Amino acid sequence: MRIGIVCPYSFDVPGGVQNHVMDLAEALIGLGHEVSVFAPADEDSPLPPYVVPAGRALPLPYNGSVARIAFGPVSTARVRRWITRGDFDVLHVHEPLTMSVSMLAVLSARGPVVATFHTAMTRSRVLAAAQGVLQIVLERITARIAVSALARKVQVEHMDGGAVEIPNGVTVAKFSHATPLPGWPGECDLGEGGTLGFLGRFTEARKGFPILRDAFVELARSRPGLRLLVAGPGDPDDLFDRFPAELRDRVTFLGLVSEEDKARMLRSVHLYVAPNTGGESFGMILTEALAAGTTVVASDLDAFRRVLDGGRAGLLFPTGDAVALRAALVGLLDDPARRAALTACGDQVVAHFDWPVVARRVLEVYAAAIEATDGRVIDQEWAGLG
Amino acid sequence: MPGMWWWVGASLVVGLLAAYLTWTVGRVERLRVRAESAARALDAHLLRRAAAAAVLAERRYGVELYAAARIALDAEPEEREAAENDLTRQLRAVRLDPADPDCEAVIAASRRLALARQVHTDLVRDARAARGRRLVRLLRMGHRHPWPRYFDIDDPTLALPADVPA
Repeated sequence: MRIGIVCPYSFDVPGGVQNHVMDLAEALIGLGHEVSVFAPADEDSPLPPYVVPAGRALPLPYNGSVARIAFGPVSTARVRRWITRGDFDVLHVHEPLTMSVSMLAVLSARGPVVATFHTAMTRSRVLAAAQGVLQIVLERITARIAVSALARKVQVEHMDGGAVEIPNGVTVAKFSHATPLPGWPGECDLGEGGTLGFLGRFTEARKGFPILRDAFVELARSRPGLRLLVAGPGDPDDLFDRFPAELRDRVTFLGLVSEEDKARMLRSVHLYVAPNTGGESFGMILTEALAAGTTVVASDLDAFRRVLDGGRAGLLFPTGDAVALRAALVGLLDDPARRAALTACGDQVVAHFDWPVVARRVLEVYAAAIEATDGRVIDQEWAGLG
Repeated sequence: MPGMWWWVGASLVVGLLAAYLTWTVGRVERLRVRAESAARALDAHLLRRAAAAAVLAERRYGVELYAAARIALDAEPEEREAAENDLTRQLRAVRLDPADPDCEAVIAASRRLALARQVHTDLVRDARAARGRRLVRLLRMGHRHPWPRYFDIDDPTLALPADVPA
């Protein structure tokens, strides 16, 4: 199948949508399809071979934040040229309601259009002022995908249409094959040793770092050799000030890490702890920890319970309860067999989030969009679904 | 000469109005054609599912499932929604093993049918919204064609996708 994918945000800056588009494109190419990705990027920036740059994106204040987007007559001409040359069977646009090349592509498209909605944004202020434009964009879309239950709910309630829920994928091989950091995770024996991991902004209340800190401090005093590995944005002094002086040498801070180092970090710990107190819609980091083969201990939030298959693939503790977390940590650090059982189940769970599996579900939506456009019916084999 | 400007202004307005009406006629027609294509695709997937269910019934589950599949295949248009819902109920009542190729064919056909139904519903909604606009009704655009119809059946998905445990 010839597939054209449009990403609204510049590839010059990292971001969730950009990563999603790249991973999806690579998974589709891996399944034997021809993929071209159109995205704003500087012409001289290093890009994967399947990306066609749409030109530099301008930083513009938009919808409450600064977005780097490309929009205007020059971008329109480039989008049209790319679509004409690409001769795609299906066009897949991401976030088509942002003022971006995604919207331009939808308006220029002739054939089947699949749209993926990432955020749970209802509608932008710019578009609220032009309801008619919104309708014209939406009615050119053939099939809609939402990446989370929340994004799907917005589609149903505010945009007057359904959407197929297909979750974000995770490239399992990238995590399962990552090399642990030198010297990690170290020994973990009965009553001593063991390594805990935390990834995220430790200053942000809903990430729940203080809960892990309390549990770690109590446990480290009675358990020699216990270590904590922290990664994420923030000031090191600010982090170490939170720990008593005698325990500071048992805490290691990596700072902000790249995607590659994130995988290595997750492979470097015995237990990955997600003490979040709320505000998580999906729990991407848990699927990544499972992909790395690391045992997960997480607060009992709806999103986490769903990813961890109700607690079969990872241990859930009552949200916000540092004492319960400490008990859970002791139990798991002293019981390698239980850790192995949880990660074995984690492998099964994460297989459903592996990109090739997720990409096959996306391909079925492509097939549905193509069929709805010209009425023919596509064989499973032709779409690479067999 | 104010009279000339009056004529220029008037012809500009008429021109714009004509362009808007032409565009609207095209839009109504485009959405109608698309809803019809979606209906054909939905029809094809309904037939595929019923056929796959009939094959499975012949091999394994016997009379009731076979009858439901036959009735769905032969249903008159006005009875078809009920017949398809009945087939969905019958399929949910049997245990389908994804490792068995006949079962897998039914599961895959149901999944594709669920997508076709979703897309058809959205496209019919768009087509009806365009057709229902006041100007479109006033000028009787597209009146030579019947209104696009919804196909109102239950979600035919058989099992929850494994990654969304309830």
